[in-house]
Amino acid sequence: MSAVIEAVNLTHLYGEKTLFETAAIKNIDLAVENGEFLGIIGHTGSGKSTLIQHFNGLLKPTTGKILLDGKDIAESKESIRAARFKVGLCFQYPEYQLFEETVYKDIAFGPKNMGLDDDETDRRVRRAARFVGLSDSYLKKSPFDLSGGEKRRAAIAGVIAMEPEALILDEPAAGLDPRGRDMILSFIKEYRQETGRTVILVSHSMDDIAKLATKVLVMNKGEVAMIGTVDEIFSRSEELFKMGLNVPQVTKIFLGLKEKGVPVRTDIYTNEQGCRELLRVFGRSVKE
Amino acid sequence: MIRDITIGQYLPGKSALHKMDPRVKIIVTFAFIIVIFMCKNFWSLGLMVLFTALCTILAGVPMRMMLKSLRPVMVILVFTGILNIFYTSGGNKLLEFWKITVTDKGIYTAVFMIVRIVCLIAGSSLLTYTTTPTMLTDAIERILSPLKVFKIQVHTLAMMMTLALRFIPTLIEEIERIMNAQKARGADLESGGFIKRAKALIPILIPLFISAFRRAYELAFAMECRCYRGGEGRTRMKQMKVKATDIVASAVTAALLGAVIFLNIYFKPVIG
Ligand SMILES: Nc1ncnc2c1ncn2[C@@H]1O[C@H](COP(=O)(O)OP(=O)(O)OP(=O)(O)O)[C@@H](O)[C@H]1O
Ligand SMILES: [Mg+2]
Repeated sequence: MSAVIEAVNLTHLYGEKTLFETAAIKNIDLAVENGEFLGIIGHTGSGKSTLIQHFNGLLKPTTGKILLDGKDIAESKESIRAARFKVGLCFQYPEYQLFEETVYKDIAFGPKNMGLDDDETDRRVRRAARFVGLSDSYLKKSPFDLSGGEKRRAAIAGVIAMEPEALILDEPAAGLDPRGRDMILSFIKEYRQETGRTVILVSHSMDDIAKLATKVLVMNKGEVAMIGTVDEIFSRSEELFKMGLNVPQVTKIFLGLKEKGVPVRTDIYTNEQGCRELLRVFGRSVKE
Repeated sequence: MIRDITIGQYLPGKSALHKMDPRVKIIVTFAFIIVIFMCKNFWSLGLMVLFTALCTILAGVPMRMMLKSLRPVMVILVFTGILNIFYTSGGNKLLEFWKITVTDKGIYTAVFMIVRIVCLIAGSSLLTYTTTPTMLTDAIERILSPLKVFKIQVHTLAMMMTLALRFIPTLIEEIERIMNAQKARGADLESGGFIKRAKALIPILIPLFISAFRRAYELAFAMECRCYRGGEGRTRMKQMKVKATDIVASAVTAALLGAVIFLNIYFKPVIG
């Protein structure tokens, strides 16, 4: 595997040289491998959004640099522009970016900016719409006539349609009902399985991260607090609690059971694992 | 970048100037401006410069910020200086070429005018540096409230002003957000000719207007839900009280007025 995105000693100050100067992220070193599903968690204000906006060159590092496929993105104007298409960034509440007359045109905005011809654009728009579960009848509608969840999906499709090497989603499920959340998470999963591309997901839901991520990055006060696999991270529950974070709900249940003296394992991070563990422990005792 | 645009450049602080009653502050600032215009020689103007400097220090406004507020009027300052140097008649000739003569009186006048404008800007900047925009509009509303007699809707005007001020930062943030989102989809806002740039604004402006209208509706609903029905019979959450500081400030300003009049009479005037 090779790194798609690398951050080298990255620091970003907001309001540099003013009274309001704050270091949003400090000395970040990070490598995102090709094909990886990186989950980013961290308390609000820990610098997650600031970090990911460096990956496609929207924010310029105060010090340090970002490498895409080994090349510094700040090299030239062209390389920054190329980064926009290589790394598809979908902001929190992306529905406010919709502006075209039809959903189709809006999804096509990115591919058109890339200078693709009409056939290729059409193929990408339809593919992206299919990923997010918007059928052809939606494509002709005005984006402003959609429901909140549908708008969200259309907006995400607008980023997916650029077919970026790495797709970054900043809390894509925030503020949606459970059905809407599930829908979004499941198409992210499908998207990754089908394309095999890198996905970075920022989320406040430990459950979602545990379910989807192959690697987890924990941010705390602008710094990398931990990085590792789902098991490595969520086994350190004490440290996570101290940072104002949490473990998946199912892990909490098993921690509680253990405390009550039930002989269960506590390295349980998804509902499926939990189910199996319960069967293992109680299934046997029922038999006995 | 876009965030650097500040309207109502309030600098948080706890100085006596910050704590003054904004009504008194506005009136005192007006008096200050009038007094500055009354100055006729360097003695009285010097006194005002000293006073402005003292107030700046008292308010804890960094010199850098003060200079920043002068930047927009730089052109006017230079212009005033040049005009006064060349177009003042009388006095001793210092320099003469072609049709232009420079006299000592011209130079004095130029310096005098520049110092006067600097003082003026610094003084009024102090008002906005030490008072939040909402406090300012609130105070303006109260100062203008006698106009109600003439059926002028002072409260409505003030409310509109307050809301507008309140939403400037919100809109700026919104523009930044939308710009970033569209840039992430490869929108090119920086290159191309006029038409191309104007077209590039569409993806920004449409979402901006939509969200601005949505906000306006929401705010109107929220206000109605709380039974807002204009200014009649409304009481205030923040009462404004004239305190000792305000009385002292008024007294100092009155004293300045007296001193300036005295200095004007006692010393020879520089300007007509
Ligand atoms: N445009 C900005 N100007 C100044 N400061 C900012 C700006 N954006 C963020 N900050 C500050 O930088 C820090 C990190 O913010 P950031 O948005 O990256 O956090 P976050 O981890 O994404 O939080 P959340 O989970 O709430 O989205 C915060 O302290 C925030 O106040
Ligand atoms: Mg964020």
